[in-house]
Amino acid sequence: MSNSSLGAASVALGLAAAACAVVVVVMGLAGRRPGWFREARLLTWVMMFAATAAVVVMERALITRDFTVAFVAEHGSSQTPALFNVATLWSALEGSILLWTLVLCGYVVAVVLKFRTQGDDPMLAWALLTLFLVAGFFFALMVGPSAPFDRFAPPLGYDGPGPNPLLQNHILMAFHPPILYLGYVGFTVPFAFAIGALCTGRVGEGWLLATRRWTVMAWGYLTLGIVLGAWWSYETLGWGGYWAWDPVENASFLPWLTGTAFIHSVMVQERRGMLRVWNLSLVISTFALTILGTFITRSGVLQSVHAFVESGIGPWLLTFLAVIVIVSLGLIGWRGDELRAPGKIDSPVSREGAFLANNVLFAAFAFVVLLGTIFPLIVEAIDGRTISVGNPYFERMTMPIGFVLLFLMAIAPVLPWRKTTGEVLSDRLHWPAWIGAGSMVAAALLGARGWSPTLAFGLGGFAGGSALRQVVLATRRQGWRGLVGRTNGGMVVHLGVVLIAIAFAASNAYVRQGEFTMAVGDTAQISGHTLTYEGSRLTEYSNRTEKSARVLVDEAKVYEPAIAQYPFAGRTIGIPSVRSTWTDDIALSVLTFPEGSGDTVVLRATVQPLIVWLWIGGLVMAAGTVLAVVPGKRRRPTAPTSAPPTSHEVLL
Amino acid sequence: MRPRVLSWLTLVVVSLSVLVFVAVDERSPATNADKAYALATEFACPVCQGQSVAESDVPVARTIRREIRVWVDEGRTDEFIRAQLVANFGEDIDYTPAASGVTSLVWILPVVVGAVALGGLAVVFRRWRDEPDRTANADDEAIVAAARRRR
Repeated sequence: MSNSSLGAASVALGLAAAACAVVVVVMGLAGRRPGWFREARLLTWVMMFAATAAVVVMERALITRDFTVAFVAEHGSSQTPALFNVATLWSALEGSILLWTLVLCGYVVAVVLKFRTQGDDPMLAWALLTLFLVAGFFFALMVGPSAPFDRFAPPLGYDGPGPNPLLQNHILMAFHPPILYLGYVGFTVPFAFAIGALCTGRVGEGWLLATRRWTVMAWGYLTLGIVLGAWWSYETLGWGGYWAWDPVENASFLPWLTGTAFIHSVMVQERRGMLRVWNLSLVISTFALTILGTFITRSGVLQSVHAFVESGIGPWLLTFLAVIVIVSLGLIGWRGDELRAPGKIDSPVSREGAFLANNVLFAAFAFVVLLGTIFPLIVEAIDGRTISVGNPYFERMTMPIGFVLLFLMAIAPVLPWRKTTGEVLSDRLHWPAWIGAGSMVAAALLGARGWSPTLAFGLGGFAGGSALRQVVLATRRQGWRGLVGRTNGGMVVHLGVVLIAIAFAASNAYVRQGEFTMAVGDTAQISGHTLTYEGSRLTEYSNRTEKSARVLVDEAKVYEPAIAQYPFAGRTIGIPSVRSTWTDDIALSVLTFPEGSGDTVVLRATVQPLIVWLWIGGLVMAAGTVLAVVPGKRRRPTAPTSAPPTSHEVLL
Repeated sequence: MRPRVLSWLTLVVVSLSVLVFVAVDERSPATNADKAYALATEFACPVCQGQSVAESDVPVARTIRREIRVWVDEGRTDEFIRAQLVANFGEDIDYTPAASGVTSLVWILPVVVGAVALGGLAVVFRRWRDEPDRTANADDEAIVAAARRRR
């Protein structure tokens, strides 16, 4: 059997299994036959098998360069190196949807395994129903508008163009998309349980506790995925930047923002039983935003509002999004009375007050990013003008929010629940505040100028000091256990955020860029660094020809930014070269080798301080997330502080 | 707690003086190259997806960078450069939406929504403050007793 038929059969099997699972669960729920839910578990395995088989078949087709599969003919090539050949799967729409489906099926299987002892619980049944419906939708996409296994009749000697050259020249491309998808898709699980809670009317804390770790893990993957994406763009795009507020980046940032709000505000609900509607709305928004992001980036709506209708997948995603929003809002309205929170917040200056402020800020942040991203579409739809919303808008609007968030990050971890006194605050914040002031003094002495980056360093130091204080206290009290558990792991995450905030402020404020036209032996100066052009050379690779410029940096080491020509893809791309140190980075890229003027190069150099701390901060955040999902110290169920019951108890 | 008050006062004074110092003491004035680079980040590359003029390597972006540099060297204002680029390449080259007409909404809406959110929070807190504390009723006691027994 050909790869096309095998793949198409797998996809059809997956759709059939999802549809059967939906029917079985619905009949079980309607006839109150809990035994039926168990049958649905078998179908989960069938779905998983189908998705795995489809991916394996596609990878086999890619690796063996089976050009009778249209996807391989369009995006594969015999010249692509092996690793990127595997990664070609997620370099285009159809393969991405396939990967998404596989990850989703993996999550469904994990849910079934994790909650296997609670197979009769209606809440679990509703959650599974939701998961099956979402999985069914993605299988349906692959049967309908985004079919990965369409056939192609290759002429004799046919070879494909290969993936976009930008997607096959850096190792990070092999990891960034799958990790991002683990994050995106992971939010389907808390969403499904939220729907389960609404449908069964058990809108208390049960669903939150059951999905707590799932949410944190999904958030951690999303964080890591975004940081890796920024790193990739810094290393490969050659403009010395890592974040451009372009719609594709914003699409990944939006669910991160609402997800971050969610993992903070769940703590208020667990402690005080409040913010139920808010938390449900957040988790639903997060999931809806992952779909909206896919719609924005995959439907062609960005080229023009009217292009998405022709894309095939656009109307499907938009309809799906509408269904999610309408059903969720309907359910929340229906359960409105039961969602009324029993508690109240005593004082705005308390832990729960700070979480509330955090949520308002993150919601505002998400609103600004969402508005800025879709605003050009709105304007085009209203009066046909095409406008752009970019860097200046996002920076101006989000900078104040960022400052307040950093300040809050400094105060909130030391705040007690319910209420506090000035004395407690003065006592706990004293040293963190001095660390903040010290960072400003140190920055000024090191040459930092301008109030906004300096303020960012100060607030960063303050927030870092505060997180460090909590970590030190916890480890002094509990030894190594002071590093694990949600609260302690969360503080490690905060430290990572502080590193990123400081590096972001520094690199944005003190970036220097210059373009130099240099003949062999010429020297250029930028930001105290010396660049010497030593000549060019040509290298042939299987899939490209590279012309690289040998540039001596600070008379110490030679770096070789290049221009690469991909004959099959018919494209020329720049391959930057970056000199990184703990204090600053020099990103070099070749703009052109001018014709007919001997061995000359037009070189672009971007010098930015502290760049490397962005990636370190991202890794610290990921490590903190891992620490946060390791079970911390168990609280006794009858301990006096509004103890959350364990998930097991609640689901029973 | 006298020393601590003193310490906080010192901290505030130190922080404010540093901030004033770094704000007033401009480092070496921005060169024309810096000004041109900063401006280039504010315009979209006309033929790319999601890259600014400063970021893109395509020829047209490089031409625009050169034009901006020439204008900066001639001492033109930012407004002049903006108007020139919009006239040559269309409104969508400008990454900063105009603060007039329909596009002003993108600036106004977040402020309005933020104000409404803050107002809503204030109302909620007032209501919470005025609400009497609840006491446990018989049902609550029963739940606690059941939990105790389970332990």
